[in-house]
Amino acid sequence: MSASSSRAIQVLTHSPGTMIGVVLVMLHLAVAVFAPLLIPYGETQLVGAPLLAPGHPDFLLGTDAIGRDYFSRLLMGGRTSITVAMVGVLGAVLFATLIGVSAAYIGGLYDDVVMRIVDTKLSMPGILFVSLFVIGFGRSVVVLTIVIGISYFPGAVRTIRAQALTQVPLDYVKAARLRGESALSVILRELTPNVAEVVVVEFAIRTSSAILIVSALSFLGLGISPPTPDWGLMVSESVNQIYAAPWLVLLPAAFISSLVVGLNFASDGLANALGLDAARGLHRS
Amino acid sequence: MLRAMLRRLMLSVLIIFLVAVFVFLATEVLPGDALDVYLSEDDVAAMSAEDIEKKRRELGLDVPAPVRFFTWFGKAIVGDFGTTIVDDIPVTEIIVNPLLNSLLLGGVITAITIPVAFLIGAGAGYWRGRRPDAVISTASIIGYSIPDFVIGMVLIIVFAVWIPLFPAVITIFNDAPASALLAVSLLPAATVIIGHVAHLSRLLRAGFIEAMNSDYVERARLSGIPEFRIVLRHVLPASVIPTLNAMALYAAGVLSGLIVVEKVFGYPGLGVELIKAVDTREVHVVQAIAFLGAVLVVFMNLLADLAIIALDPRVRSHVSQQ
Amino acid sequence: MALLEVKDLKIAYRNNATGEQSLAVDGVSFTLDRGETLGIVGESGCGKSTIARALMAYCRPGGEIVGGQILFDGRDVRAFSEDQLRELRGKRMAMVPQDPLTSLTYHMRVGAQVDEISRIHQKLDAKAARQHTLSLFERTNLPDPARTYRRYPHENSGGQRQRVVIAGALACQPDLLILDEPTTALDTTTEMQVLKLVKDLRDRLGVALVYITHDLTLTNYMCENVLVMLDGKVVERGRTAQVFEAPTTAYAKKLVAAIPRVDAPAPVAQASTRTGAALLDVRNLTFRYGRSWSLNPFARRTIDAPAVDDVSFSVPAGGTVGLVGESGSGKSTIANVVVGLLTPTSGTVTFDGQDVGSVDGKRSADLRRRIQVVFQNPLSSLNPRQQVETILTRPLQVFFGITGGPARDRAAELLEQMELSPDLLRRYPRQLSGGQQQRVAVARAFAAKPDLLLCDEITSALDVSVQAQVLALLKDIQLKTGTACLFISHDLGVVKQVCDEVAVLQKGKLVESGRPADVFAAPSHPYTRRLIAAASRREDYEDIASGQDAAAPALEMASSTPGKGQT
Repeated sequence: MSASSSRAIQVLTHSPGTMIGVVLVMLHLAVAVFAPLLIPYGETQLVGAPLLAPGHPDFLLGTDAIGRDYFSRLLMGGRTSITVAMVGVLGAVLFATLIGVSAAYIGGLYDDVVMRIVDTKLSMPGILFVSLFVIGFGRSVVVLTIVIGISYFPGAVRTIRAQALTQVPLDYVKAARLRGESALSVILRELTPNVAEVVVVEFAIRTSSAILIVSALSFLGLGISPPTPDWGLMVSESVNQIYAAPWLVLLPAAFISSLVVGLNFASDGLANALGLDAARGLHRS
Repeated sequence: MLRAMLRRLMLSVLIIFLVAVFVFLATEVLPGDALDVYLSEDDVAAMSAEDIEKKRRELGLDVPAPVRFFTWFGKAIVGDFGTTIVDDIPVTEIIVNPLLNSLLLGGVITAITIPVAFLIGAGAGYWRGRRPDAVISTASIIGYSIPDFVIGMVLIIVFAVWIPLFPAVITIFNDAPASALLAVSLLPAATVIIGHVAHLSRLLRAGFIEAMNSDYVERARLSGIPEFRIVLRHVLPASVIPTLNAMALYAAGVLSGLIVVEKVFGYPGLGVELIKAVDTREVHVVQAIAFLGAVLVVFMNLLADLAIIALDPRVRSHVSQQ
Repeated sequence: MALLEVKDLKIAYRNNATGEQSLAVDGVSFTLDRGETLGIVGESGCGKSTIARALMAYCRPGGEIVGGQILFDGRDVRAFSEDQLRELRGKRMAMVPQDPLTSLTYHMRVGAQVDEISRIHQKLDAKAARQHTLSLFERTNLPDPARTYRRYPHENSGGQRQRVVIAGALACQPDLLILDEPTTALDTTTEMQVLKLVKDLRDRLGVALVYITHDLTLTNYMCENVLVMLDGKVVERGRTAQVFEAPTTAYAKKLVAAIPRVDAPAPVAQASTRTGAALLDVRNLTFRYGRSWSLNPFARRTIDAPAVDDVSFSVPAGGTVGLVGESGSGKSTIANVVVGLLTPTSGTVTFDGQDVGSVDGKRSADLRRRIQVVFQNPLSSLNPRQQVETILTRPLQVFFGITGGPARDRAAELLEQMELSPDLLRRYPRQLSGGQQQRVAVARAFAAKPDLLLCDEITSALDVSVQAQVLALLKDIQLKTGTACLFISHDLGVVKQVCDEVAVLQKGKLVESGRPADVFAAPSHPYTRRLIAAASRREDYEDIASGQDAAAPALEMASSTPGKGQT
């Protein structure tokens, strides 16, 4: 183990892209966690004249169209979507590990049913999928988190099952069966540790994809609702100002982009370090 | 080969049925009372118990869900998705023009994305580990990391605000002729293409490298086959297979991208119609668009799998022996 | 002037993570004349395949020729331009790689892949190339050349695929043919057919051969001269017969001594703990694989021959019985029935007087404990994510309820029994050598204190010198514990060395059984004779194969997976 993890660290630190990615993600996470301590004004409070330009002595990055401090809104603007994406994807990936590994191990009709459900979801473009839920269940952070979980579950099942399928024919599984280990014990004790790397990379890749989708939904008015600050929402709220105040669009755009770029560089490096092919898992829908 | 293809076709039919079940479940069964989906809370609160019952009957919600599903599905497969709730206009009439417009934009996107991604991916794969590969790989990670709406907004700010080459918002009706639509589709198409070229070329690069590292390429090289011929005959057919496997993801991604760019640019397609329908609770329109979108993805995926069956004789034997 | 002269060849590989170069081939020199055959022998990782590729001035990614000369016809191929190299490769020097399945492009028909070579080098047009390929297929004894021509690689058996690759290598009548373990992926008798073919072609075409292998007996059969390699260096060289009979260096002596030979006299009065009473008794066992359930009305309805057909044998308590046969002979199916993974179609399996044939999946914990298995490949049978300690203590917990400190002590004891240091408890399988891994697997089996040990090809993934060590330890611990052993193998030499009794299987039928000394000295069945001839690389192999067994042509089909190749 130590040999392979030190090799992993070596690969990670040898790639400048990965380092930049890790630093970006760390910065974003730190800002998201400590934003309430860093912001000079309440993120939803009307504190100044509307549309002040950046560089104003009281408002570092100016104010938005109705006079809220833009710096405070930007710092707070990632919290909701990052939380929704991470919680949703974490749930999806954990559950997918259990289902994917068991489908690979048990096979037969169970595997068939699981895979047809997976095929069905993979045929539904992400935004269409979510809009069905939004019209059915309304718009709230909880619904959004659950929907993100449901939409990332099938793809994760597919990848994790594929990895588990490479392990199932191996003799250590046969040895465990011959020892009389229960199916659950084989799945959890023998197989799951051998798909752990894929699970970690799945989590990383799908979290970045989920952040993309949550911000796109907010931009479309299907995700996080005002007055909560959210980068996607802030871009769409500022569309009418692109002539007068293009920074109102560009600043949140830069925040969201740098977060996802950082996440993807980091997960690409992580996948390389673990000897997996990140490109296969990439997902853009 | 025919038998393998037939089996694959049957799977697609099954998936389309399951998609229909899902669309119906998500909108009419799972939310509890379907009436809540059709009407807003305020509407329901303002109505008397009698009115609610009447509305229920009017919308056909007094019938058991399975019966309603099969009625809906029976009509949906022949293109009848019911009428709108507010104006009682056939859904088909509302979505046919936006659908064609979106198909046009999606067609333009695909026609450019695939060859460009192919060239870039094969180039990066061939020069793997060297400078062109490093540049392409870095650019493509950035490319697929930036949200479509951000790319769209930046293109608008650059090419409409700073350098006024294009109008910031498309003002065109949804029954405009194709030539007029093509003229305004340049920026929206470019927006979606950037992200997807980045994604597809990564997949191709991976497939290309895997094939280049294979034993059969080594044997061909040691047999003195020229490199160009090895790439063309041995490597390329093998390298597109992982990409074809991701076709469903690609199609779904382009559809999601379309919805976003249509909103960004005001392009009169299905995406704009979808957002409008969600806002005004036109359940039948949302059902229709979700279902048609999924059918399109299933169809693209079917084409890709048929291509794999044609390309990989091992898959052919496997599928027809199942 | 010699055809090929290699002087002080040095090849280095770069480690991707650290960027350091390490020598894989360190100062190798040899010469080869037209029509001569040189064998290069060594265990895995000794650099022999790296040399094979380097002769064509080719290295795998990360590798580089850093010193020496490779003079072919007096010219150094290291100085060749890309165009010159292309002219050289495939035309004047050709290579037959190890695994014909992965070495042929899976999406191209095999005919087209051979055509390609003659079209490039001899500028033949499509029609002439096809004619040429068909004649090559005929010369390499491929059945029905016209049909083979249209097949894809996976539709052929292993032997046929290797013949296709050889046909491609001979397409331009090269002066030098390099064979890199060309028969390792094949069955013994198929291997013999391919070797015979290569020998015939060499004699007819006068081509020089470099034959790379890990199998010393094979060089004795194929080559006049031999180089023995260890860690990138040549440790012994000379006439093959001489090296074989009287090796001079310690390493070569060890290699030669470790070869399990069928033709050597049986060990005298083997120590055995057998008591005579049958521990495992298999009577009239038949097993037929059922068709899998399918929704497809077009599914092909084949009537498969039974995988195991009316087989009877028994293993006495404390005794060792060998089950011998090639792939597809039903050995593994019998193993799966014995351990309870498959239920026999008919027949009985009795263990210690108890019928265990029909209790599929519901065997008692005690029965599971009493029958243990050691698998072929330790990298597959040991969970890569578990430390040796976990691997060894889990059976202790499951079967005896021993956990914690006592389990750890017992695990250390088991390791010591296999002459392994207790320090290895903290290691993961990948951090062990192949021999250490297999010894851990044996230790795990003995953790359960079994009465019957099923050894499924336990040496075939190991290097020869390691094989001997594992077998000796196994024999030793077996003697101490009185455990009976069902020893499944395709390697007659190994079976002869460890078994008191042997049963020979062919296509699911038991064709011969008895004491190894008797069976190997005077085989009564033609199939056994053929196996023995192939294993001992006897010159008269061909006479035995063709003369006395009408089933010979069918043999190769049996080695391919059922359902494939007959389309």
